[in-house]
Amino acid sequence: MIGRNLQTAELLYLLVLKELKVRYKRSVLGYLWAIANPFAFAFVYWVAFKFIMRVQMENYTVFILTGMFPWAWLSQAAIQGTGSFTNNLSLVRHVKLPKLILPCSNVLQEMAHFVLAIPVVFVFIALSSEQIHAVPLLWQLPMMLVLQAFFVFPITVIGAVLNVYVRDIQYLVGIMFSVFFFVTPMVYPLSMVPVEYRAYFKLNPAYWLIDSWRIVFAGDVLPLGHIASVIGWILAFSLVAAWVYRRLAGRIAELI
Amino acid sequence: MPVIDVNGVWKTYHNHARLGIKERLVGRRVSAERGRFARNWALQDVSFTIEAGRSLGVVGHNGTGKSTLLSLILGTIEQDRGEIRRKGNIGGMLALGAGCHPDLTGRENIYLNGSILGLRLAEIRQKFDSIVDFSELESAIDLPLRTYSSGMSARLAFSVLAHAHRDVMLIDEVLAVGDASFQAKCATYFADYQAQGGTLIVVSHDLISLQELCAEGIWLHEGKVVHQGPIAATIECYRKFIVETIGA
Repeated sequence: MIGRNLQTAELLYLLVLKELKVRYKRSVLGYLWAIANPFAFAFVYWVAFKFIMRVQMENYTVFILTGMFPWAWLSQAAIQGTGSFTNNLSLVRHVKLPKLILPCSNVLQEMAHFVLAIPVVFVFIALSSEQIHAVPLLWQLPMMLVLQAFFVFPITVIGAVLNVYVRDIQYLVGIMFSVFFFVTPMVYPLSMVPVEYRAYFKLNPAYWLIDSWRIVFAGDVLPLGHIASVIGWILAFSLVAAWVYRRLAGRIAELI
Repeated sequence: MPVIDVNGVWKTYHNHARLGIKERLVGRRVSAERGRFARNWALQDVSFTIEAGRSLGVVGHNGTGKSTLLSLILGTIEQDRGEIRRKGNIGGMLALGAGCHPDLTGRENIYLNGSILGLRLAEIRQKFDSIVDFSELESAIDLPLRTYSSGMSARLAFSVLAHAHRDVMLIDEVLAVGDASFQAKCATYFADYQAQGGTLIVVSHDLISLQELCAEGIWLHEGKVVHQGPIAATIECYRKFIVETIGA
């Protein structure tokens, strides 16, 4: 039993490694592209909102970056993971695998990109002459990595299974994340939202995740409410994912 | 005690996969009897058992359920009715290049493929040289798979499967792309494999090599078992049928 789980873990490792290798094998800058993308977006939004829209906020650069990288993990894993069954026909149909390993590898792949980007975020935090509080980081950073992995995985599973039945899901997920990027306080702080609407913004699961990351990067201790909200959403997503998977996973191999 | 026991298996493919908005708008309306409730049986009431150390060859026209049968035995899809009992671990080669990536090297693909077949990394490492030896691909092992010919890819994949020590092996046609000397090598391997109690199920249109490879045979036609018995008799029946249909 343990041997079997270790074997699955090794397979997962090889699949993640495969994707990372394949994606950058024939590019010159390689893994740097993983960081370049959210970074370029952060820069564009920084120019647009700092200088054109004139958002009044201290350390606006750090604010954007600390949200952008976890967001890139969340959205990329969900968008690409939604295709994880449909794009891997031979792995689903012609070989016997634990199927959930495929969306899982998408989540871990994007997590790897995120981990590679963490030092960049800290360089900017240091440049903006904010202090880095090492002690809360040491346990909160790994905790957030685990929480986000569990947050993204069920979303990815739901997308991946539904996409087998209705291919429109992959486009829908892409649009959904574009919308949620602006619904979530990513480029503006929640304090800029009129008070009477703030409660609605807090209904957004991504708000709790992203805000938690900002608190952790700032070196503060996460309030219990944040941890509870993130875990609550993880449970909610997981229940839906389990239900969808049980109902619909049986015919995946023959429908793709 | 049979290793594989297929008992009254029925399989249908539902046609309701086409729910895309595009199909809804511009797709042709499908008539009720051909629509989503239509049942095209891919397999109808298929039953057979196979003992350890035996070999079964499956023949039949394209689209008569041979590959569906192998997928069901492997367990990637599920039957609608009936039961399949399996003993031991099953390894399959149902398609050329399944689980391989063209941009990875032969070496990397051996690891990936081995792991997909259920081997531990340590085992693959230990068997690596032997796998490469068997495949005769020493000179190309660090080149990306996309530079391989289909015969070379098949050799690589089969070499991994041959070293995975499965109790049951499912082979779907794919070996036909190997050259004569590799096919001879496979034949020797299969003889050893069966002598050691391994079970083999092969789908092929190459009736001559199927007759050499297998002891028993099944002829599937439009999802039904038409003939079942010793391979020579099964192939004889199938051949007669081909001659008759061409003659008519």
